[in-house]
Amino acid sequence: MTLQKDIEGNEKKYLHEFADFKGKRVLEIGCGEGRLTWQYANASSLTIGLDSDHDALRVASIDSPHDRKHKIHFACAEAEYLPFSKETFDIAVLAWSL
Amino acid sequence: MVHALSEIRRVLIPSGILIDLRPMLDRWEVEVASARETNVTGRVNDFEIGVADDTAANRSMAEAESNGWFIREREEFFSYVYSWDTPHEMEEWINEEWNDFIELDEEATHATRSAWALSDGDARAQLRMKMLIARWRKGE
Repeated sequence: MTLQKDIEGNEKKYLHEFADFKGKRVLEIGCGEGRLTWQYANASSLTIGLDSDHDALRVASIDSPHDRKHKIHFACAEAEYLPFSKETFDIAVLAWSL
Repeated sequence: MVHALSEIRRVLIPSGILIDLRPMLDRWEVEVASARETNVTGRVNDFEIGVADDTAANRSMAEAESNGWFIREREEFFSYVYSWDTPHEMEEWINEEWNDFIELDEEATHATRSAWALSDGDARAQLRMKMLIARWRKGE
């Protein structure tokens, strides 16, 4: 099966219109396999992707470019209990997950 | 959902930004598209449970807004297209992955198969989803 997603590239376009990720600390909730993460993480200073699906997170970690591993991290957590101190992030992205 | 928004607010810096990005059910269009042309062949049917999920998400954001947790700054809708080589692959995907919230009825199925069979060799079956993107600023 050959499935192509967002063939018009609108998601990336709108995401960058709505937020400036450059140098920002970003929390992505519902990152899955990291499909959306790769659309902006290069610009951010730190990206944490959260999901409750271990298998998807494994794929995201494997796909993570080696030269970006220091600033992109994936973890298993629920949005209801975020394992971070207050005022840690500049931007939060609810990725297909509200 | 409201508790999650409270948590997100907690971990955001003052004036931090929340981006809410999600598909919204709206009887998405089914298309057959080639390099030469795109034809709409029908629409999917939405199930009540999926519509209820969208309503619940909207209510949660409205509650967060009324609590003063977030201030809506901008909101838009855009198309997000899923594209398959054949109508059969699209039908399979809908039946296996999205059968909880949408269905492709007989009429749309046949119209899409027919249009694809009669179209150019590069034609694909597509689903045009409606996406919401909203930017919220953390409230005081």
